[in-house]
Amino acid sequence: MQSFQRFDRSTSLFIVLLIVAFMLATFDVRADGGGVGTTMRDGAQTLFSPLQEVASAVTRPVVGFIDALSDIASLREENDALRLENESLRSEVQQFDSVQSELEHLRELNDVQVSGDLPSVLARIGSAGSSAFDLARWIDKGSNDGISIGDAVIDEHGLVGRIDLVFDGSARVRLILDPNVTVAVRDTVTNQAGTVTGNNEEALVLRVFDAEDPARAGSVVVTAGSRFPAGIVVGTIAETASDDAGFGLVTTVTTAVSFSKLDFVRVIVGYSPLDARSEGDLLEEAPVPDERTTDTTEPGTESGTGGESS
Amino acid sequence: MRGRPVGIALLMVVIAVVAQTAVFGEGRINPFGASPAVVIVVVLACARYLDPEPSLFLGFTAGMMLDLLGGSPLGLWAMSYTVAVYVGLRFRARAEDGPLVIGVGVFALTLLASALFLIVGTLFGERFFTSTAVIKNTLLPAVYNLAIAAAAFPIVTRLIGDRRRLGWSI
Repeated sequence: MQSFQRFDRSTSLFIVLLIVAFMLATFDVRADGGGVGTTMRDGAQTLFSPLQEVASAVTRPVVGFIDALSDIASLREENDALRLENESLRSEVQQFDSVQSELEHLRELNDVQVSGDLPSVLARIGSAGSSAFDLARWIDKGSNDGISIGDAVIDEHGLVGRIDLVFDGSARVRLILDPNVTVAVRDTVTNQAGTVTGNNEEALVLRVFDAEDPARAGSVVVTAGSRFPAGIVVGTIAETASDDAGFGLVTTVTTAVSFSKLDFVRVIVGYSPLDARSEGDLLEEAPVPDERTTDTTEPGTESGTGGESS
Repeated sequence: MRGRPVGIALLMVVIAVVAQTAVFGEGRINPFGASPAVVIVVVLACARYLDPEPSLFLGFTAGMMLDLLGGSPLGLWAMSYTVAVYVGLRFRARAEDGPLVIGVGVFALTLLASALFLIVGTLFGERFFTSTAVIKNTLLPAVYNLAIAAAAFPIVTRLIGDRRRLGWSI
């Protein structure tokens, strides 16, 4: 009888906990980044950040050693990948001259001043996510450093993601790998605009709805400039594709950023979609200035390719 | 239920959560693109010795910590871990104690927790099933957890299993 009562009590508790978890999830999704969930996350970050920093610092040598071992094991694969990348870069260099002249022409046409002086804040990834399904990272800088929701996050290779939650001393970065994140982009070779959407892996899905030219493998894809500043490298087209049926072009883009090696990132602060730049910025591959400066680009020159969403 | 074992179990879960978010994962220890789910192993190891109610609370709390430190909606991991612990509690009433049973149990319950997270997450608008990587990210942590369990279960037994076992019945 006692055994039955204990079973009954634990089952009741189990059901109550399930209901609580379900309600929390519902409220959190409905609150969309606000509400009590944000307060709880803020508290958890405050409590856990110092512990995570200590754990990261202590285990960094071990992690580095394991990483090196893994590198040795995958040397052959890396060689193959580098060979492919070399071929891709060769074709990219060949295309560069024509793109460069095209770009100069566009600059003259639009009489647009190019400015890469975007204010940015250096931050470190503090948490690698709670599971393999987690496509968000926490950084050690927050609103105290001028970071706000929607800011673009980049590293030395290109676009990492966008800020979707901010506290005083920390912020959450939603990676571009997340299927809920869509970024307006432009193919630097054909100059066609489209969108890339996350796919849970380092191969984004590129869609160009009104494609006149095929998207060629090896072409660099950059942000088109609406929610994110224009000209940030997103990745390289992995497979050549064309719009044969007239329903748009779909292919994959390999991200420029290696998400498994993310450590330091830069958050572009103070950028507003109203500051959207012209095509003049398209080939600026390293918008990572060291000093904060004021963005003086004139508004209203957005290319109108549709906005990013997340 | 005495408080000391529960306190120790909670402390171990906090350590596991810190390890999970700061030591394992992308850019850290992440062999073949996946990392072990350390937290569920520690929760299951503790649930082996704690009463059912504290075990369920422990699973829920551990999941909530992961939810709070991750990017998924609150409550998803809490729900998944609570279910895994509950099934584990039911399972231990029938199973013989032994490394093989523990290994199979940890593997199966890790898979169960991940699968529930994916399914419930999908219901809440997350898009986990857009690539085949989801299979790898579900299976590999369960495999890694076998090694983690081999280390974690003896430690937990040493810390909170030194009193009389509560038995396998709930």
